[in-house]
Amino acid sequence: MELQKFYYDNKIVKQFILATIVWGVVGILVGLIAALQLAWPVFNFDLEFLTFGRVRPVHTNAIIFAFVGNAIFAGVYYSLQKLLKTRMFSDVLSQINFWGWQLIIVSAAVTLLSGFSTGKEYAELEWWIDIMIAVVWVVFGWNMIGTMIVRREKHIYAAIWWYVATFIGVAVLHVVNSFELPVSFLKSYPLYAGAQDAVVQWWYGHNAVAFFLTTPFLGLMYYYLPKAAGRPIYSYKLSIIHFWALIFIYMWAGPHHLLYQALPDWAQALGVTFSIMLLAPSWGGMINGLLTLRGAWDKVRDSATLKFMVVAVTAYGMSTFEGPMMSLKNVNMISHFSDWTIAHVHIGGMGWNGGLTFGMLYWLVPKLWKTKLFSERLANTHFWLATLGMLIYAIPLYWAAITQWLMWREYSPEGFLAYPNFLETVTQILPMYMFRAVGGTLYLVGFLLLVYNLFKTMGAGSFVNSEETQAPALVNDQSRQEAGETKHRWLERKPVWFAVFAFVALAIGGAVEIIPMVFVKSNVPTISTVTPYTPLELEGRDIYVSEGCYVCHSQMVRPFRWETDRYGEYSKIGEFVYDHPFQWGSRRTGPDLARAGVVGGKMYKNAAWHYNHFQNASSVSPGTIMPNYPWFANKTVNLELTPSKIRAMQTLGVPYPEGYDLRAVEDLTQQGQAIADELKKANIEVEPTSQVVAVIAYLHKLGKDISTNE
Amino acid sequence: MKFVGFLLEDVAGIQVYYIIGLLIFISFFIIILYRTLKMPKSEAESIKNSLFNDDEKEENNASSEDLKSSNN
Repeated sequence: MELQKFYYDNKIVKQFILATIVWGVVGILVGLIAALQLAWPVFNFDLEFLTFGRVRPVHTNAIIFAFVGNAIFAGVYYSLQKLLKTRMFSDVLSQINFWGWQLIIVSAAVTLLSGFSTGKEYAELEWWIDIMIAVVWVVFGWNMIGTMIVRREKHIYAAIWWYVATFIGVAVLHVVNSFELPVSFLKSYPLYAGAQDAVVQWWYGHNAVAFFLTTPFLGLMYYYLPKAAGRPIYSYKLSIIHFWALIFIYMWAGPHHLLYQALPDWAQALGVTFSIMLLAPSWGGMINGLLTLRGAWDKVRDSATLKFMVVAVTAYGMSTFEGPMMSLKNVNMISHFSDWTIAHVHIGGMGWNGGLTFGMLYWLVPKLWKTKLFSERLANTHFWLATLGMLIYAIPLYWAAITQWLMWREYSPEGFLAYPNFLETVTQILPMYMFRAVGGTLYLVGFLLLVYNLFKTMGAGSFVNSEETQAPALVNDQSRQEAGETKHRWLERKPVWFAVFAFVALAIGGAVEIIPMVFVKSNVPTISTVTPYTPLELEGRDIYVSEGCYVCHSQMVRPFRWETDRYGEYSKIGEFVYDHPFQWGSRRTGPDLARAGVVGGKMYKNAAWHYNHFQNASSVSPGTIMPNYPWFANKTVNLELTPSKIRAMQTLGVPYPEGYDLRAVEDLTQQGQAIADELKKANIEVEPTSQVVAVIAYLHKLGKDISTNE
Repeated sequence: MKFVGFLLEDVAGIQVYYIIGLLIFISFFIIILYRTLKMPKSEAESIKNSLFNDDEKEENNASSEDLKSSNN
């Protein structure tokens, strides 16, 4: 058979490895700053760009898209060429993929820290960055599918199935969740509102975990674990079954993020059912990974690579057991809005994604630089620091979650809430937050050891950008099924068909979840008293969104006695029909604000209180960890943009009267003047168009429409 | 998309159609499970081992530091 000479593109792998290392340091460091801010609010530095609400999205985006994203590309670009015995389809596409992705990351960091955010978790980036992501992602997919088409290997190996599913899954999720109407270069509103936005967002949020943090890493596991262990994967049959089951089921489970919330029962039941089912295919992957090491456990003792991989697969197993359990309504009642979710995602992030990335890098860098790892001892030290760091991070947070939940629902013998002041439940868990920062520090120190170790390894070795090799040409590939060939085996040599089937498998769940919520009107009953936001309230809401208030404050009172006693009437689906985007939140580091505007209600505070709270939170709430927002009083709302915001809202179906955009600024100033006059009575002088007035107007709107107190 | 909306707005009992999805999944799952389990073991073994049919040499994990110390 004719042997063809060709060259592997190692340069692109090196570029992505270096980016993984650099962004890993940045992402973990920003996470540590966020952890310090929660334990000691002084770390907010009273600086606009460094408040927790802005830093936290930078941390999540940096870890998910910068650190993990670059690790995925590094792992895929190396293994794809080896598995298909060909160079990547196009060097130009590879370079566009690399530089485009880095540009996206830098744009994301700059805009988020500057306060430009869409307010949807893990999808906070503005519309033009979303377009860049879509373009770069298509380039990645084009390059990958092109490489499969020009391959020299007849069948595509299991790892590549996961890469294909990743490409399709992320493309679908990102496009559907990013439909937004731009108002300016740095401001847009999502097309969906309220409960519909929530369903789409958590379908995306849940499946970003699936198709960005799980499926590509399963692909990497299928390649790098057998390679590092020198043994084939445990079961090929299991890999088929758990692949198709996992990509089919994952897409259905999103609503488990919205249990006991303003969502139809059928959607909640759907989320729970499929989340429990997810346990089986997830553990199929874990079992296939762990059993690959049967008979090779002696190698684990000596190899940091394998140690990291074992911890990764174990953490994957733990997370994917915990996830379905957290989807049970009685467990979710505790875990949702508490630190349980934060602990859960960090077991997955630090253990599964971090562990597999570290293992992969310790294996890949010596191989590419044709040398030995500089120090196995340092790598082992990193392993122990990372593992201990993860535990010291997560265990206090589980403790914090249970403690705080018990305090939220504790009643005195007289039948009143035992801890009516929410702040008491926060100060109680601050020691756990301090431990979390210690865990994060250990994890960062471990990572810095990796950086040193890998750079020393690179320095000692020699790197070839284009590595010469040869392989037989692929000939006589029958399009029809050959005699004795199974259907799946046929599919494995038809990458385009494989991609089509994968798309169908994962699209069904998404369609079932989203289409009825968006189109069936009975799913979102309207409430006649709920009115659109006034221009001032809308501007205040935009500030609330851009500052990332939703990362600490929910706007969703669940139908529990201990929530309605604390906050007021439970939330109704019809209250949110004008909310572009929804702001239900996922964690209550501060109290729920859904009833902050109910005069005489438990959550109502007057304008002067809010003003003082923003100026210096601890002056009205001693011991609080809320950052200060002193610039709210000095900065004003951009009135030039207000009319276009009203027009955008009209386009999205908000019933402002025809031509209202022309009167909006006048109304805004009038309402602002009333609040400024009220503040004047407390000897506070502010402009009627200042940001603090707008935010107060917005907070006083929350829950007002369904209130019967006035 | 308006067409989809028109169709779905009045579909009674839309809430139960995820049961249909569940049934579709279970039927496909059973078929794939049956066909996969029927596959000959020898074929599965050769597919698994195909990962190692490349030009890479699997090396041991000793580091340069370890080698240095053993040379001393």
